[in-house]
Amino acid sequence: MAANEITAQEFTISRTFNAPRDIVWRAWTEREALAKWWGPKGCVIEVEELDVRAGGTFHYSMEMQEGCKWWGVFHYEDVVKPERIVFVNSFSDEAGDIARAPFSESWPREIRNVVTFHDEGGKTRIELRGRPIRATAEECAFFEGMFGSMQQGFGGTFDQLDDYLATQK
Amino acid sequence: MDRLSSTFSALADPTRRAILARLALGETSVNELAAPFEMSLPAVSKHLKVLEGAGLITRGRNAQWRPCKLEAAPLKEAANWIDFYRKFWEASFDRLDAYLERLQSGDAAPDGPKAPKKKGRKNGCK
Repeated sequence: MAANEITAQEFTISRTFNAPRDIVWRAWTEREALAKWWGPKGCVIEVEELDVRAGGTFHYSMEMQEGCKWWGVFHYEDVVKPERIVFVNSFSDEAGDIARAPFSESWPREIRNVVTFHDEGGKTRIELRGRPIRATAEECAFFEGMFGSMQQGFGGTFDQLDDYLATQK
Repeated sequence: MDRLSSTFSALADPTRRAILARLALGETSVNELAAPFEMSLPAVSKHLKVLEGAGLITRGRNAQWRPCKLEAAPLKEAANWIDFYRKFWEASFDRLDAYLERLQSGDAAPDGPKAPKKKGRKNGCK
């Protein structure tokens, strides 16, 4: 397991929001707020369950467009108000059981995220670090997985695709 | 719908992923594309429309055979889970930013028009 975690790349993102830390904290921990901002623009979130504490779950559905509805979960591992939330993010089924990403066989099933809330005098800086856990090396390479299963059928190779994409840059 | 959502939706279908894999080998006609799929031409055309809408492919203007061509840029964007995940969070943070702004100006109304509540197809994309 440790070896797998080493191969997984880490993702980081940071942004400063123009609001005090307690307000930003509430946006991350209250049902109505999460439904309004979690997910890309235009998607409609419905909150099935929200229990923000270690061992608790956020289970939601995400309607990306009409007729296209996906489920996802956060499993909270550590919640320290108002400083830190650690959660594992996955796609799920309607019942909340972890599932494969609907669009890829190799998207990491579970990504552990560490979010920290930094008070910057009336503003709040959010730092988020994410890393796949329990992921196979295969899962860490979304690109290869996405096309790997298709290769036999068409007699192509991933290398060809790679070369092609390189010429298109 | 924004670009990220349309890319997600377009990639959600295994047939469409297979079509992209085929097009990675070079541009081709709809007839040729349809051959390995045991699918009617209209069904394949429907998938192509979705891919075209997401900017993942373009179609030639030649009315005779309108060849389909893979567009590499958006596919490259989607190629790595980290890039994709980053876009997801960036888009969410944009919404969070707007939400916090509305909240503090005293107007916490929902953002934009709500999609109609309808119980339809589950867990899938057409």
